[in-house]
Amino acid sequence: MILPRFDVLVPETVDEACTMLSDHADEGVRLLAGGTDLLVDLRRPIIPQHVPRCDGCTTHPEGRVLSTIECAPSDSDPLMASGGSIRTALEGPRHAAPAFLVSLHKLDQLRGIERLADGGLRIGALTSISEIERSPDVREGWTALAEGADSLGSPLVRNRGTLGGNIANARPAADMAVPTIALGGTLTLKGSSGTCDIPAKDFPRGPGLSVIKQDEILTDIHYPSPVPYSGSAYYKLANRKALEISTVGVAVWLALKEPGGPVADVQVALGAVGPVPILAESVREALIGKVPNEKTLLQAAQAARGDARPIDDHRGSAWYRVQMVEQLTLRLLRTVLKRIRDSK
Amino acid sequence: MKKIVSVTVNGVLHELAIEPRRTLLELLREDLGLTGTKKGCGIGDCGTCTVLLDGVATFSCLTLAIQADGCSVETVEGLAEDGKLNRLQQAFVDHGAIQCGFCSPGMLMTATELLRRSDNPNEQDIRRAISGNLCRCTGYQKIVEAIKAASEDTS
Repeated sequence: MILPRFDVLVPETVDEACTMLSDHADEGVRLLAGGTDLLVDLRRPIIPQHVPRCDGCTTHPEGRVLSTIECAPSDSDPLMASGGSIRTALEGPRHAAPAFLVSLHKLDQLRGIERLADGGLRIGALTSISEIERSPDVREGWTALAEGADSLGSPLVRNRGTLGGNIANARPAADMAVPTIALGGTLTLKGSSGTCDIPAKDFPRGPGLSVIKQDEILTDIHYPSPVPYSGSAYYKLANRKALEISTVGVAVWLALKEPGGPVADVQVALGAVGPVPILAESVREALIGKVPNEKTLLQAAQAARGDARPIDDHRGSAWYRVQMVEQLTLRLLRTVLKRIRDSK
Repeated sequence: MKKIVSVTVNGVLHELAIEPRRTLLELLREDLGLTGTKKGCGIGDCGTCTVLLDGVATFSCLTLAIQADGCSVETVEGLAEDGKLNRLQQAFVDHGAIQCGFCSPGMLMTATELLRRSDNPNEQDIRRAISGNLCRCTGYQKIVEAIKAASEDTS
């Protein structure tokens, strides 16, 4: 058999799933959504360099994690402050394969894309990437998310992969997480003790690590209503057009005060240039209140490069990634401004 | 402990007792003997294990058989109509879109999904649709031509 031994639990409700997650915590339990990440991690790695995308998943007895992820220390974030802690988490002792998978495939209430009365958008966590890619609502109002969906994996991965899975796995290059952060998305986490909403930017805590608790499930992702004279875009820089992880991914959301007027608000999210997707705060300082022109856009793009904290790896050097952050941010700011102009 | 799974494969309902870790690929190939669906990489890169799960092109190697409980599965064995190759299969033969043939079952299922969803896909649509199906003989051009021809042939 391809996969190691485990039992599969099939809850009928989200509450039941939360209970299963907490009841089997000691034996090892994982949530199964689309399976395009988890089932790959569960099987014996084909190459020893395969880094499991979720802690505790790999079963390779001699497996060694060769990747070393250096995290720049940060005073404001206790997990990042230690710098080395994420590295330890990845290089720590191998965990046994989970004894239980909680498969969410019967929870149809977690699927679907819904326009809300306030103009916002709610997407169920189990909604497939393909469905998001084909949704006219998403493409019109939340273009960066549609472009993230376009660029994720391959059509077959998109058919199975889910929005919730892509975000909850907390990978630094996640093609849905980066646009979700730029668009100001909010995640709804449901657990045994209740429900909480957190901004998507505060969710990831390191590669494969997040604030989600053992008995919590990401159920919905909420995107705020588009404001007047706003637009968004995402670009994935990668070595191939399909089946690739980004070298750099940039998502830009921007709103003008009036047509041709100064920038009311802007959010730029950077993927694959740090241990988590980064919201480039410096861009806000550089651009809000300024009239966008080639000079101010370049200043904003240069500010973005200062927020990137990339590493060297086989996809690209840190030096190259920083150059690309600036170039892609500049290019996407122009794209978004053109979209705002054209949509008038 | 084994679990009972009911799955309709190419129109025939099967009820099987399977281990929870069994993939849909293993159910098809080993339990039902439908070896048209191939096992390639096993990690969702190559696409040769593609089947249609409730009409959606799906990696059978990354889908647990339990997840297909109550679903309808179509495999390459179900494409032929009345013992004859269907239009898409015949187009693959006519255009020489088969070299070693290992990717063909997955290519055919992915193309089947595309042609059901889109009446008249252009070359770009076709190339994008099969971007998750790898052909290591690199016969992509002929595969694209075959799918295009099948989409135009309305006879």
